[in-house]
Amino acid sequence: MGLKLCLSSTLKFSPISILRPISQSTKNPLRRSLLLVRALSADAAAGTTTIAPDTTPDDFRVAKAPQWKAAIDFKWIRENKEAVAANVKNRNSNANIDLVVELYDKLMNVQKEVEGLRAERNVVANRMKGKLEPSERQKLVEEGKNLKERLVTLEEDLLNLTDELQQEAQCVPNMTHPDVPVGGEDCSSIRKMVGKASEFSFSVKDHVQLGKDLNIFDFDAAAEVSGSKFYYLKNEAVMLEMGLINWAVSEVMKRGFTPLITPEIVRSSVVEKCGFQPRGTNTQVYSIEGSDQCLIGTAEIPVGGIHMDSIIPESSLPLKYVAFSHCFRTEAGAAGAATRGLYRVHQFSKVEMFILCRPEESNSFHEELIEIEEELFSSLGLHFKYASDFISSGFKFSFDVLTIVFPIHFPLAGLMTSSNFHRTIDMATQDLGAPAYRKFDVEAWMPGLGRYGEISSASNCTDYQSRRLGIRYRPESSIPPKKGKGSSTPTRFVHTLNATACAVPRMIICLLENYQQEDGSVVIPEPLRRFMGGLEIITPKIQIRC
Amino acid sequence: MKGKLEPSERQKLVEEGKNLKERLVTLEEDLLNLTDELQQEAQCVPNMTHPDVPVGGEDCSSIRKMVGKASEFSFSVKDHVQLGKDLNIFDFDAAAEVSGSKFYYLKNEAVMLEMGLINWAVSEVMKRGFTPLITPEIVRSSVVEKCGFQPRGTNTQVYSIEGSDQCLIGTAEIPVGGIHMDSIIPESSLPLKYVAFSHCFRTEAGAAGAATRGLYRVHQFSKVEMFILCRPEESNSFHEELIEIEEELFSSLGLHFKTIDMATQDLGAPAYRKFDVEAWMPGLGRYGEISSASNCTDYQSRRLGIRYRPESSIPPKKGKGSSTPTRFVHTLNATACAVPRMIICLLENYQQEDGSVVIPEPLRRFMGGLEIITPKIQIRC
Repeated sequence: MGLKLCLSSTLKFSPISILRPISQSTKNPLRRSLLLVRALSADAAAGTTTIAPDTTPDDFRVAKAPQWKAAIDFKWIRENKEAVAANVKNRNSNANIDLVVELYDKLMNVQKEVEGLRAERNVVANRMKGKLEPSERQKLVEEGKNLKERLVTLEEDLLNLTDELQQEAQCVPNMTHPDVPVGGEDCSSIRKMVGKASEFSFSVKDHVQLGKDLNIFDFDAAAEVSGSKFYYLKNEAVMLEMGLINWAVSEVMKRGFTPLITPEIVRSSVVEKCGFQPRGTNTQVYSIEGSDQCLIGTAEIPVGGIHMDSIIPESSLPLKYVAFSHCFRTEAGAAGAATRGLYRVHQFSKVEMFILCRPEESNSFHEELIEIEEELFSSLGLHFKYASDFISSGFKFSFDVLTIVFPIHFPLAGLMTSSNFHRTIDMATQDLGAPAYRKFDVEAWMPGLGRYGEISSASNCTDYQSRRLGIRYRPESSIPPKKGKGSSTPTRFVHTLNATACAVPRMIICLLENYQQEDGSVVIPEPLRRFMGGLEIITPKIQIRC
Repeated sequence: MKGKLEPSERQKLVEEGKNLKERLVTLEEDLLNLTDELQQEAQCVPNMTHPDVPVGGEDCSSIRKMVGKASEFSFSVKDHVQLGKDLNIFDFDAAAEVSGSKFYYLKNEAVMLEMGLINWAVSEVMKRGFTPLITPEIVRSSVVEKCGFQPRGTNTQVYSIEGSDQCLIGTAEIPVGGIHMDSIIPESSLPLKYVAFSHCFRTEAGAAGAATRGLYRVHQFSKVEMFILCRPEESNSFHEELIEIEEELFSSLGLHFKTIDMATQDLGAPAYRKFDVEAWMPGLGRYGEISSASNCTDYQSRRLGIRYRPESSIPPKKGKGSSTPTRFVHTLNATACAVPRMIICLLENYQQEDGSVVIPEPLRRFMGGLEIITPKIQIRC
């Protein structure tokens, strides 16, 4: 089995592909497969698709005329047309920049005409105030009427052009951070690998089997009551979920974030403003019958909505929230993808971090968020061993790093080397959702499944969401306002960022599969125990259980 | 017609057969229609009623128990909305923009309060031998109906999902009732006792004008629910057990409340008997329902198809295939903790003159040791 190393000229580390996963249509951003480090495992041929549960907006095209206006900087688009178009291409978006610029120019022209006509009408109106001969007055009246008719037509054109421009411009994805690799899934680069190899001296089970033996899940009853991809958690899994949520909220609060519990039903316009398409084909969003409301797929949406249409004083920034909610996703278009057990479910609990900040600070807050995530996951027993020296030293590979990074030797049975670790990935341009300027995903090794699974995602949305949600801030001016001069410093749009602190089902999979013992019991990592009434281990002993 | 026949005899039989078949087809269709009609009418029939239940409207409901007494305040009390505002722990306005009226964000200590209440309630009920569950919140509408609710009725309390036959649950009673749908449970497994946590969604249609201020009547809330499946002979005593657990829980938090035996006109169709607990809410100046415990006997189990097989003391006769005939279980459900109502109770009863709120002792270790919520100015969003 050859190892194909792709080292680009910028020394970005491309993951090794031994088995290419089933490639998805690049037009459908919901199906993003990430390359896996898989070797000679016997069932490598099965299930090579990865788990990509992310909140990627589906179809970029807006279905109908938008009910609200995004404060898009059209002038900037026009002035940076080449860069914007190149970005659109890199992201494989079907936004039409030429059309946007064309519509904008038309709009500006019509606007000028309208202003001209209004000025003329005012002149006529003023002249009619004076003393006039009947014939002169009559002429003016007709002129006025004529101007009014032309105005009405042009004003209607203005409205239509504004709507059309909005519709086209709303499709334009966010710009991209210069360091983001350009291309599809295979171009995403690994920022950090964390952990140490743990070895199992017995054949590992996946979380479904473990859950069955421990009597902590029920998928069958849920399929009857609700449908596929639903589940009941029972017994210790309930304590695990509650413990994970309490732990995550508590840990993030310690870092200065304000805790929130949010509505899970929101107006569909808020969903759209965050960059999702509730009515698109293959939408991830459940809608409520007989209303304009939807179920949220992530707390990012109701948190983004809190400061909708507001001006925040600069001194309040940054605003940092840690929000807990249930999340609901249709997972339409995910048929055939890994769906066993808790991997891809319609309902789950999630603790989400959200930051609103000044534009100059968003890159550094992005770093802060990914750091928090890495600390959280490491604290659950995924030890750090920096692989960044590997990247910076280019072609020099230390043996230690090789062992961790390339677990080549998978014996077919009995012994299975599993790496108890996770990696952070800088997502390539085609895998960014429309709102994201840059996105880091964290994937953890799931030994029972024999592959990586995404457990978290951190996006810097810069001003994409804030221009749609109308979230501005007023910079403090060092110049005191002149007396009599009414206006203060002009407002600017905030930048927004969001990051998963804890997606419960994925964490449950990680914990069960990584901490399983030979007798089928599962050890609880130390930091969680006090959030679980001191529980140290889940055992499969026969109890009086339902 | 299998035997040897004369052609004319055969012909007569053929015609008789044809005639019979036609009449059968018609009658079988009648049968189907009658079955449907009968079901439709019969499903409207409410459960029978326990003989001790007072007959009449709400003013006939009788008080079973009074616990504690209203605390006296030496200052003018605030309601939970005002307290929440001063403590910066709710946001109703932003929620109205984002979602609509009767939605809310919990912030800061209210988050710890919700999480603490849930953890405490689940933990307390688990101690009493109940199996903990976390349930789906989207279910098939048929399951909702089988539990005795009307998802498509006018003024329905139930949210439906567009483009599907699914609904949002208004209570964990529904998904828990559904777990053993269409099953036969061995008698030795009974009773089955569950404590289930879920979010609950209610349209509150037809509740316009009713008390809607703040957290009292909301579209989404967290609830810890107890559910029991048992043998028919035991349901009355389990009903007593459930209300006892509730009374112990609320007493331990120092609340003043009364337990009410609901009169016939206030029972839901499934309930044979229903006890409500109403707690004193000083800020609102009245009692508010914080919990409800119903014995549904076999109303839900007949719809959900939940049976059990009694253990027979007579060994089955050799060659005689069938075992003891199955019977329908009885089901009961009771609120262990409806979070918004509990938050109202705690804020309003434990408020101090300076606007701070004391956390009752049993909750503190579920809230990281927090003893009091204070209105001091912190770096708050």
